[in-house]
Amino acid sequence: MSLAQFVFFCGFAVVAMAIVAFGAVVVRGARRDDGGPFVTRALVRRLARPGRDRAELQRWAFYLHRISGLGLFAFLCLHVMDVGLYVVSREIYDEVHQVYGSVPMRVAEVGLLFGLLFHTANGLRLVAVDVADLGLTASTRVLYGVLGVSAVGTIAGAVFVLGPVFT
Amino acid sequence: MTTADVRDAAGAARRRRVAYVALRLSGLLLAVLVLGHFVATHITTDVADTDSRFIDERWASALWIVWDGVMLAATLGHAVLGLWAVTADYSSGRRRTAWRAALLVGAGAVFVIGMSLLWLGATG
Repeated sequence: MSLAQFVFFCGFAVVAMAIVAFGAVVVRGARRDDGGPFVTRALVRRLARPGRDRAELQRWAFYLHRISGLGLFAFLCLHVMDVGLYVVSREIYDEVHQVYGSVPMRVAEVGLLFGLLFHTANGLRLVAVDVADLGLTASTRVLYGVLGVSAVGTIAGAVFVLGPVFT
Repeated sequence: MTTADVRDAAGAARRRRVAYVALRLSGLLLAVLVLGHFVATHITTDVADTDSRFIDERWASALWIVWDGVMLAATLGHAVLGLWAVTADYSSGRRRTAWRAALLVGAGAVFVIGMSLLWLGATG
């Protein structure tokens, strides 16, 4: 690992730590403001049975939206810097960029894709709630669609992103 | 309550409404730009092949320079508006002011650095 690659790795570690720290802030705030059960088996059972406790799933979508949003912003800051190396020196850019093709980074990119897809689809759901005046029932139904699109899109993207590892 | 208070309250409500709409409009724009960016750098081209030669080709086209510039500006605006609301939820008083100042300085720095790099990369 060259020095430039090590610096990039450190930047990535900072991004990961920012996501974990912000996640802790969100969960602590949730415990204080919203109370109620957290990820227990009873909660999962309730979420799996549509129609009972729709607000609960929306609450979790709200937390995931925040955490994914901060994660995407943190990664953007790092990404602008590493692409900017292209202007400084093409050799250093190519060196750092090799990290993007490595297996651990490809796995991280699949996580990035999930964050992007969930944040996008859920954001479009929030717009739809205003524009189409969706109520709790309809917006929860759309939320199932959001989760489905994020899961399917992530798996489909993972085939492309992780495919070269196996061939 | 004086007339000035009413005018201030109306101004604050209007600013909040503008921020609310801007957050959603930038989000709609980014849904296209960012997912398109991911497709271009991971699906249609494998990520290992997006080296400096790939950037040479991309930034030879005005479409991609405009795409990247608009994407950067919209993302930072969207991030500032979103995190502005987040700081309101998780901090208060002087600490909130400090987080917001850090947010503006950070986003401003990324904007200036990113745009100048894009300019230099596209012209140089």
